[in-house]
Amino acid sequence: MRKALWCLLPLASLVYGCVTTGSATQSAVVRAKDKVAPALVHIRPVKKVFSRGKREEVVMVGSGFIISPDGYVITNEHVAGKASFVQCVLYNKEEVEAEVVGVDPYTDIAVLKLDVAEPLSHVTLGRSSALEAGQTVLALGSPHGLARSVSLGIVSVTDRYLEDHGETVSPYNNWIQTDAAINQGNSGGPLVNLKGEVVGVNARMLRGAENVGFAIPIDIAREVVDQIIAHGRVMRSWIGVTLQEMTRKTDDPSIEGVVIADIDPLGAAFEAGLKPGDVMLAIDGEPTNARFEEDLPVVRKQIADIPVDAEVVVRVARGDEEIDVLLTTEEKSDLKGDEVEFAEWGFTATELTPAMVRRARLPSRKGVVVSGRQAGGIAAAARLQRGDIILEVDEAEVENLGQFRRIYEDLIASKQRLVMMVVKRGALTHFVLVKQDRNGAPASEPAEVQSRKEAYDDVE
Amino acid sequence: MWSRLCVAILALAQTQAAPTVQSSDPFSQAVIDQAYHEVAPAIGVLAFTSEITNPATGDITKRDGHALGLIVAPDGLVMTHGHMLLENTQPINIRFTVGQGEDETEYRATLLEKPDDINVCFLRIESDDLPDMPYVTFSRDSTLKLGEPIVVLGLLSKTLDYARGLYTCRVGAILEKPRTTYCLDRHVRFGFVTGPAINVQGQVVGVIGFDLSPSEGGELYVRSGHPLIYQTGLFQHYIDNPPGKNEIADKQEDAWLGVFTQPLTDDFAEYWGLEKEGGVIVSTVVAGSPAEKAGCQSGDIITNFDGVPVRPKQDREITQFTKLVRETGVGKTVLIKLLRDGQPLELEVHLEARPTPAREASEYKDETFGLTVRELTTDVRITLNLPDTVQGVIIRRVKSGSVAQLAGMRPGMIIMNFGDHPVTNLDDLQEAVQKVIADKPNEVSVFCRAGSVTGFFRLEPRWNAREK
Repeated sequence: MRKALWCLLPLASLVYGCVTTGSATQSAVVRAKDKVAPALVHIRPVKKVFSRGKREEVVMVGSGFIISPDGYVITNEHVAGKASFVQCVLYNKEEVEAEVVGVDPYTDIAVLKLDVAEPLSHVTLGRSSALEAGQTVLALGSPHGLARSVSLGIVSVTDRYLEDHGETVSPYNNWIQTDAAINQGNSGGPLVNLKGEVVGVNARMLRGAENVGFAIPIDIAREVVDQIIAHGRVMRSWIGVTLQEMTRKTDDPSIEGVVIADIDPLGAAFEAGLKPGDVMLAIDGEPTNARFEEDLPVVRKQIADIPVDAEVVVRVARGDEEIDVLLTTEEKSDLKGDEVEFAEWGFTATELTPAMVRRARLPSRKGVVVSGRQAGGIAAAARLQRGDIILEVDEAEVENLGQFRRIYEDLIASKQRLVMMVVKRGALTHFVLVKQDRNGAPASEPAEVQSRKEAYDDVE
Repeated sequence: MWSRLCVAILALAQTQAAPTVQSSDPFSQAVIDQAYHEVAPAIGVLAFTSEITNPATGDITKRDGHALGLIVAPDGLVMTHGHMLLENTQPINIRFTVGQGEDETEYRATLLEKPDDINVCFLRIESDDLPDMPYVTFSRDSTLKLGEPIVVLGLLSKTLDYARGLYTCRVGAILEKPRTTYCLDRHVRFGFVTGPAINVQGQVVGVIGFDLSPSEGGELYVRSGHPLIYQTGLFQHYIDNPPGKNEIADKQEDAWLGVFTQPLTDDFAEYWGLEKEGGVIVSTVVAGSPAEKAGCQSGDIITNFDGVPVRPKQDREITQFTKLVRETGVGKTVLIKLLRDGQPLELEVHLEARPTPAREASEYKDETFGLTVRELTTDVRITLNLPDTVQGVIIRRVKSGSVAQLAGMRPGMIIMNFGDHPVTNLDDLQEAVQKVIADKPNEVSVFCRAGSVTGFFRLEPRWNAREK
């Protein structure tokens, strides 16, 4: 519940810094750089961006590094996610196309596969758990699009806890904080120790600060990458609890466990009768202790790592009692839903995420959310608003984005003059009447063309 | 002196019967002289301090303000512009100065309850031995024509000692909806808002305003920035029967149905295969409201309320329905005619009092932890989309440097448990706080809701610091 300005790093502000080093360190730095640099990748993804009710394609810049001779590359989800095309430039300046193997928004990790025939140079992954604050590290990547850049610094903190901020969440890991210069464009690049091993994936910086950058620990990234390569995605379990550190309730170090702060009404914990304020002591006998906020990611990961659809025993303390409850884990849903442009009406919509369902107090995950609308479009004329949750179209219940799209396409084909949608707007229900014959076509199909055609029809 | 002026104003009333103005310059010097000398003494300067509450943080800032006040009755009833009492703004230390130069006299004044159908405020001059005050008498016939010339009296700026001045303009537009509204063809300076508007016959036909009341869809006019004339008919009844003091206890209760509505436009009617005659579409029925108890449903179309046809086709016409409901009377049982799935239906609704809005809700201020909290009112529940299961009080302010601030608590959070005590209202919280103060524990766990999730905060009271 604390606010800070975290900033993702694919592309705008210059930060200067310098580090003076002795000659022994100097040669170690060069050796480390030499070990990693040949595997460095400059990434130019063409991404779908939805803005003001329109879908657009933009070229972004990020970094990455090759982890296997057959061309697997680690980068950030916020670099390669939603990319329709990924162009990579290798250290030898050769251009290679890459395919997105899979992404994991929860850890901000993406895996690419380069389309190559010959074996490639690749990095050695180190162990982030062995890192110490004060240790020298290098950051490699493409700050502000400047490929093959190396910067030097030290590890500032090994386990920085970053609070969730909008869609920027990192529930399962603490962060390596470094003063090695990290700028926009460094996203997805390696953080390297003096042995030339990759210990982190650079991903964030603190806006307005100087040289306060953050990298995802490689131990976390490695697990995620293995799962993405094996299954194309990461499966995690969910029981529907939000956790807080014990110090939120008491400073007494003898009281162990983790505080259940919130229970999702659609989750297993709710059905099992758990309540906010219960202190979770163990799952299947494994202690779940988080005294400080830095301990929370481990406990969250402990839950996430349980197989999906598994029965587990959760032990909680409620007052002076200890209670065991049995519950079945569910699969954790995607952080972000798909987004689609509905060009004829001039708006975009996304799938409902559990967080939206929760905020809107919907009884289920049925419906789609309006994410933007174009000025002058049919949707704007009908006063459909951003954030509206479309529940019904012409008395048919909206199930999900795919089904809504089919209904929409039928409506476009039918040219039916009036279409009624029931939307949820905050606590209120609203009727939205869409006039398909309204002479307010979106910008992609200029209104003049339409009217000129009509004029010709009249002449004939 | 005042009695002489009163005589003069009575004389004005007499002249109203025989208007004799003509010629190319619509205002003869004689009419202007007469208007100025008879009306200007009723214009005074209101000086006050506004306490402005930031609704997000609860922080209060103070700002000095000035406005034109117009004496409208000899016993010291003063009218001014409605912006004196905006939401989240409370004017204090109100003074009213009449007369100019040597004759200047300052009085204290009390704000009366703001009318909700016109954007003006009334004040009462406080004095034990108030002489008869000079006042403006308004012409009851205040119909104006497009292009009709008008003289407006007002105040010049502070640097010019609030000297009284005038300027002329014309009726630039007449709007028919939601009621007859006269727009001026020129902008006016701030010191002329609530200034009396005088026609060529020398009649005072109204005052200068800037927007309609919110219940009339006023926002539209705020954005347009057009100065308006509030014609006499809109406020004369408040002069005849002045509103009570600006206290909640005095307020007459508004009736409440508990629905959110949309107008039945011709397109909606076409879609549903109904006659294009207008109506009120019920979009949302508030849980626990009279409408819900009567069986009203989302999608119902109200066509008649208590014998009055309800036929809005546009957004701004909805306000008339809202007003109708409000004024029908708390406790009254009314018949509502509606269409459900195209079929006529009648419902009996027992109207209840409109729930207290957040700005009138009770507050509790605690000094130990630095929290000021409010009751959770129906409007806040709707704004925050809170389920009925959420009971508590909402944090309005967190004192800077307080125990609560250190724990990370912020305005807008809802306190549901304080220590071991469930909190459903202000009394619960007050009791819980008193108990904690008596027990003096080292830490207090507070359970709150922020947005759609809940969480805990640990307060560490500084008992020793307080004793020092």
